[in-house]
Amino acid sequence: MKYIGKKLVTMLMTLLCISFLVYFAFDLIPGDAALAALGTDASPESLAALREQLGLNRPFLTRYLAWLMDFVRGDFGTSYKYHMPVADMIASKLPITVMMAFISFLMMIVVSLPLGIYTAKHSGKHIDRFIMALNQIMMSVPHFFMGIIITYVFGLVLKLFTPGGFVSYETDFVGFLAYLIFPCIAIALPKIAMSVKMLRSSCIEEAKKDYVRTAYSKGNNTNKVLYRHVLKNAMIPVITLWGMTLADMLVGSIVIEQVFNIPGIGRILLTSISYRDYPVVETIIILIATVVIVTNFCVDVIYQLIDPRISVQD
Amino acid sequence: MTKRGQKLVKVLFASMLLTLTVALGGCSGDKAGGDSTQIADTPSTENSEANAGTANETEDAKSHITIGIPQDLDSLVPSLSQGAGTQEILFNIYEGLVKPDSEGNLIPAVASDYSMSEDGLVYTFTLREGIKFHNGNPVSVADVKYSIETCAGLNGGEPVISAFSNVASVETPDERTVVITLKEASSSFVAILSTAEAAIVPADAEDLQNHPVGTGPYKFVSRSLQENVELERFDEYWGEPAHIKNITLKVIADSDSIVMNLKGGAIDMFARISTAQAAELGEDFEVLEGTMNLVQAMYLNNAVAPFDNEKVRQALCYAVNKQEILDFVSEGKGTPVGSSMFPAFGKYYVDLNDTYTTDIEKAKALLTEAGYPDGFSFTVKVPSNYQQHIDTAQVIAEQLKQIGVTANIELIEWETWLNDVYQGRDFEATLVGVDASTVTAGAMLSRFRSDAHNNFTNYNNAEYDAAYEEALAAETASDDDKATECYKKCETILAQTAANVYIQDICELVAIRKGFAGYEFYPLYIQDFSKLYITE
Repeated sequence: MKYIGKKLVTMLMTLLCISFLVYFAFDLIPGDAALAALGTDASPESLAALREQLGLNRPFLTRYLAWLMDFVRGDFGTSYKYHMPVADMIASKLPITVMMAFISFLMMIVVSLPLGIYTAKHSGKHIDRFIMALNQIMMSVPHFFMGIIITYVFGLVLKLFTPGGFVSYETDFVGFLAYLIFPCIAIALPKIAMSVKMLRSSCIEEAKKDYVRTAYSKGNNTNKVLYRHVLKNAMIPVITLWGMTLADMLVGSIVIEQVFNIPGIGRILLTSISYRDYPVVETIIILIATVVIVTNFCVDVIYQLIDPRISVQD
Repeated sequence: MTKRGQKLVKVLFASMLLTLTVALGGCSGDKAGGDSTQIADTPSTENSEANAGTANETEDAKSHITIGIPQDLDSLVPSLSQGAGTQEILFNIYEGLVKPDSEGNLIPAVASDYSMSEDGLVYTFTLREGIKFHNGNPVSVADVKYSIETCAGLNGGEPVISAFSNVASVETPDERTVVITLKEASSSFVAILSTAEAAIVPADAEDLQNHPVGTGPYKFVSRSLQENVELERFDEYWGEPAHIKNITLKVIADSDSIVMNLKGGAIDMFARISTAQAAELGEDFEVLEGTMNLVQAMYLNNAVAPFDNEKVRQALCYAVNKQEILDFVSEGKGTPVGSSMFPAFGKYYVDLNDTYTTDIEKAKALLTEAGYPDGFSFTVKVPSNYQQHIDTAQVIAEQLKQIGVTANIELIEWETWLNDVYQGRDFEATLVGVDASTVTAGAMLSRFRSDAHNNFTNYNNAEYDAAYEEALAAETASDDDKATECYKKCETILAQTAANVYIQDICELVAIRKGFAGYEFYPLYIQDFSKLYITE
């Protein structure tokens, strides 16, 4: 309990720092929301009026603190550009991004687990070498590039999906899932490669340890030793990787959303940055930061559950 | 497996299932919500169709087009809408008392007729008979009064566009008449009533942001942020009704995926594509060519050395070859211009392209005269989101090398451009296009008065200021010929003093799938969907 409490305080401090940095960064870059909104129509009077209306002419710290107080109270503010509550904007788009991360994560586990074990069992053979070579390629291709290749091959040449033909989960849930398959493959592939490589080497490493010899000497066959003893220990570093990947996938989907023209959280974040729409940007960044921090925390806890030898109660 | 391990697996599975259930439950809940609003909408749709009587139902089912737009709409409330990309779409939903047609003339819209008093202070509008809002309610003079007063800041708040601060009062003497009184006479007042902000909205509308209600040929159906906007034909429209029943506007934020979306079938039309994109489209599409209605130029800061010297500016004009730029950047498409005015302005436009014909020797001589025999170097700031301007800047930089002048291109973000260049006037040269919000000469020329707040080039010429004043005086006196003549003089002064290195009105290419037709180019930033129709 003490550990969790301590962790919680660090978490809140981290979020506070992040929110301040984002606000500060926006203060440094040229242009503000009033100017971005009025563009070339701006006259000194209309600019001053809009700044007054948006509260942009207050000193930096006053603005930040006012925003922070509202945020803590659960009022995320109103978007400067869309004139609608930030909470509503994010609520309508979050399912898209979360669904993408979820499907990619599922793909990663379903594919990498058997593949990692298989290559570990057959290490050194031709099939293992072939898979590992392929793996190396997948790992080194960035996901946005993978996205472009997938769009071209499966979308334009094989016509398995319509590039840009995204449908919202609100209108057609099946069509929505179907459209997400290829973007999710683009996100998942590099992660699958990484996960397979890690599981394989971790298995091979574990298999060299003394307890494995003991397990064999007790009369167990290869499969029993692998699944009952080796795998459990070999999974520990892999679970850390998965935990980190989950957060990474949420962030990675921001880039992939651009490539596949998916209107998720990432799209809103990018357009809001160029529009200097502080309330939206702040909320999304804090959301992402929270996800990253919370997943890391969960990984720590799961870690401990799996392996009682590891203690994080320092 | 140990007991602890099994327990962990159970917990993991349970939580996964829970997540999935919550996710699916949440989605189906939303879906139900969406359906129920649709059900609520259905009766009114049927009613309007029954009223229209002529609507052919089987034909209507297929009557749909998906149009790509480069950015999402900002606010759907006319008085709050800001981006040109938003206002050009709102043109289909809302109308002002008057509206522009594709020739640039003002035609009556919500008002069927109007007249101006002799002193130019009092405008009397007659409300169009039988005109209705999308919600079926008739438009009343109270709605007009409310809309204009909101724009003018008379309902509290600031004027939405500064020109509206000129409105003194809005009166409604009877049920068909609206009288607008101005503080001082202004010839461009009616033109300003045609802008997107001045649209007529219901006075009792509660939530225009989510449920826009206007009088235009299309009514708003639904919207999903950064994804799409759905429009449907308004069958009780007062004018010629639109042809296509349903329109989906799809946001394509990544310009690299426009061609893919067109070829893949996700969208049927996209306005403003590049020549390179047009070349990739193939035979399923027709590419229509118009002009963007702006003046692309290398705008010079007339207040900083060496551009405070007229001879230096003229030297640059002599060194730049417009036709070569057009050939390099857009396969020769586009219309060269010689001053801050483009051909779509009709009577106000004078062709000043001959003021400077490319002459390297003359340019060098002028530079020597100005005291720069070995040339100089300067920085040209270009917004990084406009490829066309970047390409043009590169060609110009090459051309200027011939006279020993080095142009260093610096790419900056659009918001930074607004802040540093446009507002801060902290630049030597910049390459952008300047457009007009209304078809009035002032929209293009007023910014070059030495005391204009938006005179970002710091142009300062007493003769110009005098000519502009004279034009304004002539307009107030309703002497249109004299005013036009003065505006033309202004354009000529800009060209002769080489205020900027004028280049062209950029060509606008619109890709439209074969089977659709009827796209009309406007002299303003407007997309008129009501003219589109299906050919097969």
